[in-house]
Amino acid sequence: MSLEIKDLNVIYQDGIHCVQALEDVSLTVAPGKCLALVGESGSGKTTVAKACMGLLPSNAARQGQIKLDRQRIDQLGESLLNEIRWERIGMVFQHGAANLNPVHQIINQVAEPLIQHRSLSRREAHALAGEALVQMGLKEGYHSRYPHQLSGGEAQRALLAMAMILDPELIILDEPTSALDALSKSFVTGSINRAKERGKAILLITHDLELVVHVAETVAFLYLGQIMETMPARDIFTQPLHPYTLALGRSYPAMNTTRDLGGIRGDAFYRFVHQHGHNDEAGYRHSHIQVPLSSHKDGHAPPTGCLFQNRCTQTIERCRTEKVDLEAIGDHTVRCIRHGIANLLELKGVSKKYENTVAINAMDLTIKCGEVFCLVGETGSGKTTLAMIAAGVIKPESGSRVFDGRDMDEWMHKGYPSLATQVGVIYQNPAESVSHRFSVFDIVAEALKIHGLSQSREEMHTRVTKALADVHLSTDPAFLGRYAHELNMGAIQRVCLARALVLGPSFLVADEPTSSLDPSVQAKVLKLLLDLQIEMGLTMFFVTHDIGLARKIGDRIGVMLSGRLVETGPAHLILSSPYHRYTQLLIDSVSGISHGSFQPGSDPVEPGGCPFATRCPRATDLCRLTNPQLLERDHRQVACHFPLTSRHPG
Amino acid sequence: MISNLRRSVPSRLGLVITFGLAALAMIYLSYSLPRLLPGDFVTTMYSSSNVTLTAEQEAALRAYYTEEPGFGHYLVKLFRLDWGFSYAFLTPISTLFFSALPWTLLLLGTANVISMIIGFVSGVEAAWRPNSRLEKGMVGGMTIIEGIPEISTGVILLVVFALKLQWFPAAGGETAYAELSLYAWFADVGHHLALPLATLVLAYFPGNFLLTRNSMMMVIKAPFVTTARAKGLCARRVRYGHAARNALLPLVTRFGLRLAFMVTGALVVETIFSYPGLGTVLFNAIQVRDVPVIQAIVLVSSLMVLMIILGLEVVYRMIDPRIANAH
Repeated sequence: MSLEIKDLNVIYQDGIHCVQALEDVSLTVAPGKCLALVGESGSGKTTVAKACMGLLPSNAARQGQIKLDRQRIDQLGESLLNEIRWERIGMVFQHGAANLNPVHQIINQVAEPLIQHRSLSRREAHALAGEALVQMGLKEGYHSRYPHQLSGGEAQRALLAMAMILDPELIILDEPTSALDALSKSFVTGSINRAKERGKAILLITHDLELVVHVAETVAFLYLGQIMETMPARDIFTQPLHPYTLALGRSYPAMNTTRDLGGIRGDAFYRFVHQHGHNDEAGYRHSHIQVPLSSHKDGHAPPTGCLFQNRCTQTIERCRTEKVDLEAIGDHTVRCIRHGIANLLELKGVSKKYENTVAINAMDLTIKCGEVFCLVGETGSGKTTLAMIAAGVIKPESGSRVFDGRDMDEWMHKGYPSLATQVGVIYQNPAESVSHRFSVFDIVAEALKIHGLSQSREEMHTRVTKALADVHLSTDPAFLGRYAHELNMGAIQRVCLARALVLGPSFLVADEPTSSLDPSVQAKVLKLLLDLQIEMGLTMFFVTHDIGLARKIGDRIGVMLSGRLVETGPAHLILSSPYHRYTQLLIDSVSGISHGSFQPGSDPVEPGGCPFATRCPRATDLCRLTNPQLLERDHRQVACHFPLTSRHPG
Repeated sequence: MISNLRRSVPSRLGLVITFGLAALAMIYLSYSLPRLLPGDFVTTMYSSSNVTLTAEQEAALRAYYTEEPGFGHYLVKLFRLDWGFSYAFLTPISTLFFSALPWTLLLLGTANVISMIIGFVSGVEAAWRPNSRLEKGMVGGMTIIEGIPEISTGVILLVVFALKLQWFPAAGGETAYAELSLYAWFADVGHHLALPLATLVLAYFPGNFLLTRNSMMMVIKAPFVTTARAKGLCARRVRYGHAARNALLPLVTRFGLRLAFMVTGALVVETIFSYPGLGTVLFNAIQVRDVPVIQAIVLVSSLMVLMIILGLEVVYRMIDPRIANAH
């Protein structure tokens, strides 16, 4: 028994408005498997479930097919539907206890389908219902209770017992764990897994990503009625391909992710559509749906193009004009014109030498749109140099840089200003990065003047005050006229931030932006930085020596050692189980675990050897002689002959 | 369960005390209020008759009829179930009362039950089809009928069906002095009942309809109704077993209060159709300032309100288990 939904479109007609709830949704749920539907509220998850049950309200117009075991069920009449409902498709609706009738005892409600569908006597039905409730951990004494006498978790278990009472082949669970405590949640998780083992097909609707990882095989992400991405559930946190998926993962308080919660910028809107329908003999249910034009309530939203464009971190011109279809990438399918999360910056084989000192060895680095990449490492490891190369401030001696799909050096050559508006830089040591002859206004307005972006003095003033207000600084004239030395460090750092953001860049390079600040000011500035990153959809390259800080703000971490990247990957993976001994050392030092007296900074014993060999307790001759390559391992890259997970030969 | 009992003992005691005090207050009001009526029995009785009273006679009569027994005396008589004599009819009030009561019960009981059933079913069915032509039409129509006072419906029905068409008798509860078999007597009573009953049903049921429909509109949006539908239950079970069951409470309240006002409620209709019920008795008693009769009827009807409210408490708990656990 499998459920197959094909090209499902649902439009709610509300007076003259029509709201597009679902557009071309195709899903398959196989027996013994669980498909999860995830998305923000209002994305149409529950509409899918209601469509399967034939419970769409009368103002819903629907197109497409819903098949249960290759038999269409979307055009059945009410009496045929009643034979399928609960008998073949069981469902737990959202809002828990509100789904239990307050004036009937729970055992009556659980037994009711048995009486209706199986024509059992009241006694037999009660006996079976009692058994089902006991299986769900509700003891005899609870059976004659009324819903208001149950706790949220007990009510949820009663609902589960009710949904499975007729042993349906397909079970739809709509938010089964929202509002449940952790233990009740794990009970529900167990029940779902047991049902799967018995060969039930399960359609799980939730925004609980952790639950999805634990019970589902496949997950589909819905946004405003469109499927944005489908993927194997285990990849949610490690390999999102769509910016929406990445942002959802970042918004979920998972136990193993470390970054502070970030939302998705902006708000979703209702998709009002123009419907040119003509009623056929079967009524408006089959009326023809044309041109799914989306438009915002206030008329701001896009008439064409991708639905996510205004909230995305990698919107380009084509996103606003072209229609996007789902395409398969590996075992994912993604609805993105840029084929998933794009690379904002690609460094290939860049290197830099200062006289005799090699600052950066030929190395590759990719920064993705919308992510916060944290570069950590000991002093002198080349962090700042790499950051400045990435920002286009320093020219590398060799290698290529590609920014937003264009060669950076060529771009600089042709028209540096247009690149410079895309990249904002916050330099190390804020007090020295501003001229002491400039007032606050001048500091922020300088970039606008250089790029000639403001026509009039008033416009410039507006943009400067807006930039200052964005970083929570005062905008009154007295403050604008102050000089940097009159300000405290926190304020100077914010002025630098305002200066970096005033041109509206897409890429922000921040080199130790908070190292000169005390913890309370640092906390404020970082919080501000992260809020702005979300709100403006920035991609951030964040250099810090503070691995604790990187843990709080980074999506990905890169660890630098002697001009090389020795480990990169998702922040939570690297920090919870580093593969490189050097990373382990950095983490341990922050945690106060001592490993004897390590000298900061070192040179390789042999020019070709691993730079960490002299300090590494596991170093072998191999390490001293050959420098390990940066290799892909378990969603991360690590340059070590003997990564910490593998068995050491010695 | 134990905690339930523990909680309910003091709360029940409180209930008894509250209701006892309320009953006492009502007894006092039934004693004092009718006395505040302007005019007196002597004036109304003899001003319209041919008998001319001398000044002494009038003074003596007036002294007799306005004698103040005192509230204590009134209470004592009440507990002895001695209701006294009617001034006008010179019969014990209990005889007067109990001969009229069955007619009132018949008329109002039937009217209330019928209007409740019709109102409930039509309200449920209308609410189940929101925004349909049927529902819109019914709500409009019922609102209009609700606005017509029973005095005009009564008169119109009387004129059309009793006087013009002569399908139904215009007055009385049964044909006077007729010797009828039991079956024929039932038919006769029903025949007499038809018009006043129709008037009352028309007066009561639009309110029931509107109330049911409104509370149903709230209930049909509730998640448990959707769940009931999803369970594949038959339409009637979803509509009545799940939805309407939850919309019943306001209607029961209304029904109870209607019952409470049963004794006096039909005053207008009983008068129009000269129906031999308590309403007519009360109307006549007020006209001639027959204070003991007024007192008795006021007392009985107010005590009935109390008793029915008490009864409703019990019924509520049966209909909605949440009330039993409410603090």
